[in-house]
Amino acid sequence: MALKNILLNFKKYTFLMTQMISRDFKVKYKRSVLGVLWSLLQPLLMMFVMALVFSQMFKFRMEGVNYLVYLMTGLVMFNYFSEASNNAMTSVVFNFQLMTKVYIPKYIFPLSKCLFVGINFLLSLIPLFLIVVITGAPISWNYLLLPYVFICMFLFTVGIGFVLSTISVFLRDMFYIYSILLTIWQYFTPIFYDISMLPMYLQKLFKFNPLYQYVTFARTILLDAKTPSAMTFLWCGLSAVIMFIIGCIVFKRKQDKFIYYA
Amino acid sequence: MAIIRLDSVSMRFNLGIEKDYSFKQAFINFFSFKKKKKKKKDEFWALKDISFKVEKGEVVGLIGSNGAGKSTLLKVVSGVMKPTKGKVEVNGVISPMIELGAGFDSELTARENIFLNGAVLGYSKSFIEEKFDEIVKFSELKDFLFFFIKNFSSGMTAKLAFSISTVVNPEVLIVDEILSVGDIKFQEKSKNKMLEMIKGGTTVLYVSHSIEAIRDLCTKVIWIEHGEMVMIGDAKKVCDKYYEKQMGKKFEDSKK
Repeated sequence: MALKNILLNFKKYTFLMTQMISRDFKVKYKRSVLGVLWSLLQPLLMMFVMALVFSQMFKFRMEGVNYLVYLMTGLVMFNYFSEASNNAMTSVVFNFQLMTKVYIPKYIFPLSKCLFVGINFLLSLIPLFLIVVITGAPISWNYLLLPYVFICMFLFTVGIGFVLSTISVFLRDMFYIYSILLTIWQYFTPIFYDISMLPMYLQKLFKFNPLYQYVTFARTILLDAKTPSAMTFLWCGLSAVIMFIIGCIVFKRKQDKFIYYA
Repeated sequence: MAIIRLDSVSMRFNLGIEKDYSFKQAFINFFSFKKKKKKKKDEFWALKDISFKVEKGEVVGLIGSNGAGKSTLLKVVSGVMKPTKGKVEVNGVISPMIELGAGFDSELTARENIFLNGAVLGYSKSFIEEKFDEIVKFSELKDFLFFFIKNFSSGMTAKLAFSISTVVNPEVLIVDEILSVGDIKFQEKSKNKMLEMIKGGTTVLYVSHSIEAIRDLCTKVIWIEHGEMVMIGDAKKVCDKYYEKQMGKKFEDSKK
């Protein structure tokens, strides 16, 4: 019964969510000449900059690895996480104005941000596959497994977004703290380097980073055309579901108090 | 069954919240022995033990000085806020018009805002599409549909917002001092629209500082002062008492 109510409520507000997402799109690319094309160009250009810096300036080499695809996979996925979680975090505080005027289920705000950035992410897959094709990386049936890891990453991000948006209502310092945390997280996720370059104890530690698991999952498919190991499957799903549930619980428990901190 | 029922509803605000959230203050508070005393002082009860029932079709006015708790009461009824104590029961679809144009995005056109604001108010896509022409016609803004809201005058924005909010036929209409929107012609039109809704059996909760409007429209009036209910009952009687208390003279006298 309770679940049915939640689903009915969700259905009622899906239209609001599509409206908010389309609003975000319109506002984001307003007055830019290239518009949505930027969603395709930006990851591509970022990848080229990083590839140039690491391979030319630092003489960084990864033998036998399609470095462009390697780099771009990590970049695109981590960018999704960092942008979506950041937007989700600020979404509740930025919408206080609205929240004090009409009743809207509050989870709509972080969720719609994660979806909005998600659409951007899907767009950025186009240049990624372009690079895959151009560099001649193998294409296999394993591609069909990619949606699994993307959904895991999405759930994980929503969970983090729920927690962050809740904390930041009570403690605005979170905005600044999280930007630092994100930078740390970025370096602790092997985006441009390989984990095997690190000492053994760090390698073990890094494997607990869900983002490392998601990126590795995608790379196994895109670079090696292999099926990811059962352990990776399990890790991805488990971390996503657990984080999602934690996020939901935290958010639900605290949401009625939000309005006092507006 | 009463359509709205409030059962000893109380609402507390912590005025101290802002202050406590600077690091310096948190630090001082941590080492301060007066902490508990201070907390009590910062508490503010916007509503104290309010109970009443509204039957279907009633038009209930809320009066009281500024800061008496009228808007808070409307927010509690509309579900924007949950009461600290007590219970609120609403058996029907509410259309809250506490503040018009909630969720308008000034970077979007009027047309886009009709859809966005409609969605914020909980309308479905098909409903907005169906009522789109009606909204545009009522707002008198047909020629400005593709203009950005940021270029609208405040009157135009309010007209658009009013038209979106009133296109539904809600079971409960919550109105917070919005009938003075737009130019004279539009004011007349919006008043008629509300009368029409009342005739159609909509239950209305209405806040206004215009005693005349309240006397004209309402069947029952609730008078709140400092978060407490002073009086409830027949519109004319409560309004007269309120006017006398506030102005020190009788309402009838003021007209002479």
